Amino acid sequence: MPVQSMLLLTILTEAVLEDTMIDELMALGAKGYTISEARGSGTHGVRSGKWTVSGNIRIEVVGDAALIGRIVERLQAQYDRDYGLLMFTTQVELQN
Amino acid sequence: MSIEPVVLFFVLGVAAGLLRSDLKIPGVIYEALSIFILLAIGLKGGVELAKYPLGSLIGQGLIIVAIGALIPLIAFPILRFLGRLSRADSASIAAHYGSVSVVTFSVGITLLGHENLDYEGYLIVFLVLLEMPALVIGVILARFGVGPVRWAKLLHEVFFGKSIYLLVGGLIIGYVAGPEGIRPLDRLFFDLFKGVLAFFLLEMGLVAASRIAALRQYGAFLAGFAVVMPLISATLGTVTGWLLGLSVGGTFLLATLFASASYIAAPAAMRIAVPEANPALSIGASLGMTFPFNIFLGIPIYLWMARTIHGG
Repeated sequence: MPVQSMLLLTILTEAVLEDTMIDELMALGAKGYTISEARGSGTHGVRSGKWTVSGNIRIEVVGDAALIGRIVERLQAQYDRDYGLLMFTTQVELQN
Repeated sequence: MSIEPVVLFFVLGVAAGLLRSDLKIPGVIYEALSIFILLAIGLKGGVELAKYPLGSLIGQGLIIVAIGALIPLIAFPILRFLGRLSRADSASIAAHYGSVSVVTFSVGITLLGHENLDYEGYLIVFLVLLEMPALVIGVILARFGVGPVRWAKLLHEVFFGKSIYLLVGGLIIGYVAGPEGIRPLDRLFFDLFKGVLAFFLLEMGLVAASRIAALRQYGAFLAGFAVVMPLISATLGTVTGWLLGLSVGGTFLLATLFASASYIAAPAAMRIAVPEANPALSIGASLGMTFPFNIFLGIPIYLWMARTIHGG
């Protein structure tokens, strides 16, 4: 299979949103996702990860530009105002 | 009255946090400890509940839940009009104070053991029953005439969130098994309880230390509220317990329940249902101020209140 150029979207957000985010991603057409626990600090203060309310998650989704665009638009409209949310994309070459 | 040694672990945790010790309780251990505490309390309540005819408790239960539901309704106008906090913040904080803290309650039970006082064991059921109305009232206060509520998500969080799920699960298992059936589990769940509570308080101390700084930002009003509100709620609980004919221990536990503020179930539920409320305010007040106030000063005061109203 030829190497495919895709976008990797990384979403950093609050752990309480995990289920909500998964529902959103799947409804928007993502084929899959990877979630890992994260902690750190930003405009919403220190996210120590000591318990769910103060924990963050890192969600990674790979997709074409159209899918990633839809996800970014939706999450920004719904969650950016009230929740800690950071999204960035990276160009990736899918190897398999 | 001598100090209950288990609360000293909380001091140890706070000191570690303030002194920037590298002491850290791994997240998975914290999770395991909280699962243990919730299950153990649930089991204990279920075993006690099995000793009483359920029908006789319904009337008393309804009264306690109805009076408990007044707490967020008292807290909201204080926060909104006296403290001039936003509607969402006032409602979210009110929900935290109407809701209850399992660990504060556990420290209360430990103190009763220390003082050799009996209590009505079925009161543990109110840990479960008092949680829900406050959260729902909090959301209604925040949203009334303002915007839509994601009720399905909120109710799912309230009923199937870890704390209520494990408490109810433990209650049912304890109730079905009864005192005899549960005996093989006694060593693990009841004998070790105090030790696990000590670990848990150590961790709570570490977390609370990180919240005290956040609370300082929001000024004297919230700090004052975090001390006065539990005293108001405890008075309500003491009078209610006395009128319902509870024992001294039972009256004290009801006062402690009313006075406690949630910092596990309520923050998660409020974050989902009232996202525009600032969680630093509600968690800062409930965990940074009210929790330490309750376990050091509040609990001895509530015991004194219960003894006084019972005339001794």
